[in-house]
Amino acid sequence: MNSRKFELMIGILGTVLLAVGILIYSANEPARLITAQASQLRTDLDEAMTIYAENCSVCHGLAGEGIGSNPALDNRGLAGTDSRTLHKIISRGLYGTSMPAWNVTDGGPLSDYQIGSIGKLIQFGNWHETGDRVVNLGLAPKIPFATDPDPEILAGLADLPDGDRLVLGVNVYAQKCVACHGADGLGTHLAPALNDQTLREKAFDELDRTLRYGVPGTLMAGWENAITVEELNAVLTLINRWDEVAEGAIPEPEAPVPVTVESLELGANLYAANCARCHAAEGQGTPRAPSLNVKGYLEETNDAVLQQIISLGVPETAMPAWGDKMTEAEIQAIVGFIRSWEPTAPAVAEPVRGGGGPWWQTEEPSETTRGKGRQGKGGGPPNNENAPQDLQEDPKVEPTVIEQESAPAVVFEQDHDGNSGGPPEWAGGGNQADQDGHTGNELPAWARDESSQNWWEILDGRAWGLLLGVAFLSIFLVIGAIFGLSRLPKPGV
Amino acid sequence: MKPEDTEEIPSSLFDRMRKTLAPSGIPTDRRGRMRMVVDTLILHIHPTKVNSRTLRFTYTWGLGGLSALLTVILVSTGVLLEMNYTPSPPDAYLDIINLTTNVWFGSLVRNLHHWSGNLLIVAAVLHLLRVFFTGGHRPPRELNWMLGVAMLLLVLGANFTGYLLPWDELAYWAITVGTSIISYVPLVGEWLNRLLLGGPEVGAATLLNFYALHISIIPVTVVLLMSYHFWRIRKDGGLTIPKKPGEELPKKMESVTTIPYLVRPELMFAIAWLAIMFFWAMLVPAPLEGIANPLVSPNPAKAPWYFMGLQELLLHFHPVIGAVLIPGLALTSLFLLPFYDVEIKTVGVYFRSQRGRYLAIISAGLSLLISPIWVLLDEYVIHWTMWLPSWPTWISNGLVPLSILLLGIFVLTGWIAKLSRASLEERVLVIFVYLFTALVVLTVIGIFFRGPGMELFWPWMMPGH
Repeated sequence: MNSRKFELMIGILGTVLLAVGILIYSANEPARLITAQASQLRTDLDEAMTIYAENCSVCHGLAGEGIGSNPALDNRGLAGTDSRTLHKIISRGLYGTSMPAWNVTDGGPLSDYQIGSIGKLIQFGNWHETGDRVVNLGLAPKIPFATDPDPEILAGLADLPDGDRLVLGVNVYAQKCVACHGADGLGTHLAPALNDQTLREKAFDELDRTLRYGVPGTLMAGWENAITVEELNAVLTLINRWDEVAEGAIPEPEAPVPVTVESLELGANLYAANCARCHAAEGQGTPRAPSLNVKGYLEETNDAVLQQIISLGVPETAMPAWGDKMTEAEIQAIVGFIRSWEPTAPAVAEPVRGGGGPWWQTEEPSETTRGKGRQGKGGGPPNNENAPQDLQEDPKVEPTVIEQESAPAVVFEQDHDGNSGGPPEWAGGGNQADQDGHTGNELPAWARDESSQNWWEILDGRAWGLLLGVAFLSIFLVIGAIFGLSRLPKPGV
Repeated sequence: MKPEDTEEIPSSLFDRMRKTLAPSGIPTDRRGRMRMVVDTLILHIHPTKVNSRTLRFTYTWGLGGLSALLTVILVSTGVLLEMNYTPSPPDAYLDIINLTTNVWFGSLVRNLHHWSGNLLIVAAVLHLLRVFFTGGHRPPRELNWMLGVAMLLLVLGANFTGYLLPWDELAYWAITVGTSIISYVPLVGEWLNRLLLGGPEVGAATLLNFYALHISIIPVTVVLLMSYHFWRIRKDGGLTIPKKPGEELPKKMESVTTIPYLVRPELMFAIAWLAIMFFWAMLVPAPLEGIANPLVSPNPAKAPWYFMGLQELLLHFHPVIGAVLIPGLALTSLFLLPFYDVEIKTVGVYFRSQRGRYLAIISAGLSLLISPIWVLLDEYVIHWTMWLPSWPTWISNGLVPLSILLLGIFVLTGWIAKLSRASLEERVLVIFVYLFTALVVLTVIGIFFRGPGMELFWPWMMPGH
């Protein structure tokens, strides 16, 4: 075949393929658009459910069913509203109601994009699924919204001068305000503390105005129409005289995760079997996972958040989602166990070294603790500048290995033999992995503890193939070329 | 002989239209064909006749032509994309979503643009390699070589600025990482970074800056330089003429008319690549992640793939060395290559000579073997900052390993060259091949072997996959 024919053939083939390809693609384009729109809607709804859980569920309920005077969102009428109107209401809020403005341009926390996806949730969303999401994120609203004041303290308050009004204030607060402003008026992440000296020093008019008309751009609603003038004045009195109200008068609307002796034991066993290999036996942390047993962390993280992290995992990190492997009770037991460290937690954690990392680090513990000054984006664990000296003095730094070798397998069997006649499916994988290396393990390969292995044991077939392939290829190239070179005539210099 | 002298106005309407589009059809005689090249605007970039040796496809591989074709695809799809795009943070992402879900052929055009842009880098680099290996940078083509290198940098710039425009998570963090490399330049780095970003971090101003660079400044410059590049080819006497090692070119060489011997393969090559690009774009969607969230950084945060070699260097060297000195030295030597590699006898011979071919293979093989070993050693065994604690890190973790590496490369390549009694040009070839292979190895390691915390992992054991 001469080059002219070959070129023409390529050209004709290319043209035909191009034409046919574009025709088929064009025919499929409307269908593709519909599929793309549907998949985009799914993505948006997925995000919207999380936004709903974090921002809206506190007032509009677990699954958009509404709480108290806050309207339900899960109804046909609202779903029929056009997206422009929904966007406007969510962005700017509704004047004279407790609906605040959510758009960043109006002082709220949400972007246009997020508000748009919330609008889609109202129009097309699945409220059952949304309810599940809210629960899974540990953000289920505190229902009842209200709490019961301590009757003894209340009785004591009644004896004070103008005590009736104070009692009424406490009652109103416990009914209407506690959900956002917290137990004893100490504030939550939603709203500031009211039991506060600077607030007491503020002018009566200013507080009165805030209470009546709300604060635009925040969650603070105008209460003028929702409660009577008498109640309003009582709450103002309470804010002014809170220092006279004993601590514990208005409890949290919801108790923290219940802890019992049994749950602590279960939590400890589950922790040892599942969490200890990365977070270390006593939550000191390892290079693979952060310390949990730290005062700052435990004080700032409530049970709901811990439960959320355990059940959903942390995306883009090594923390897997345990929600589909454990029951809620089991996760709560682990939360209770982690919480039990709080009184004795050190202010600064000392992560356990050794264990994780690539294979050649696992041979010598001292190797893992080197403080390599890396200037790139990566960087190792923090304070690795100081770490080496401390750890090299102590030859016995590798406690996680010993803990894990013995504890989890045994303890876990005991625990589940009594209840369900054998470890659940997911636990079987974990135990097996402890015994025979790394096959069938639930954990990702790099998160496993390979300290007991020699470096060559971790090289699987593909790794050997790649290493030897590159080595052989390069050696073959070099030797082949040298051989060819030697057969060339010597340069005639 | 002018056309109006011989031709009259045809009587039929159809013939009149045909005559306007193609005045006299494609001529069959040699003279008429040469005339047509001169008379046609597009074909005018070609000479009327070309040396028949330079038409050999396996000599040029059509890489320059492919780059030009991709540029044309990029400009035409880019203009279409521009009509559906707002360069401001939330809207930019919404527009991309809208483009892929509501606009007819929006996804196809975006994919075409994305993949053409990425392929252009590959094509341009391969073109550079081809020209270097056949000595196309040597006198009298020095200026065209420098123009080419400048355009390669602009293409990288165009890709980098375009990377941010979708304003998704991938774009945001890749640009954050990529631009942070700039701030390592001594003295002016921070200032340059702020100038480029329009503020302390990637934000609305950055998007607008990058948009302006991406749609006007860079493409206009590239098109101007491209024209200059093409013009220089003509002025430098066309392509380098391929020959066998040691062959002397005859005084008289066969030349053929551009039509059809150059135009036809060009056209067919273009159609074939157009088909490939369309199918690629139809089958493989361009990546798009969630909207950029400055509060949640992915781990690892990686630069765009073509800068992963640079990011990998940064993991091994002090930033001033890894981000400034080494790339600066490399680029300077690349720019000045035609002034110290000037042997014109071997122009047109792939790898200079038969010995050059073997030396290039040896060099590539050694680099393939040594570069990964060096990465592993530096990652797990060598700790310059610990071994030389009292020295400033830019010396202990910068100049010291750099000088050892450079010394090693020069001793190694010098030794190879000495053993094989290579000439200066072959020695330059050996060093070039060694360093280029090392860059490829570093890039591959950076892309595929770096996981969370930029630790080394096997690609199939990568956490989170």
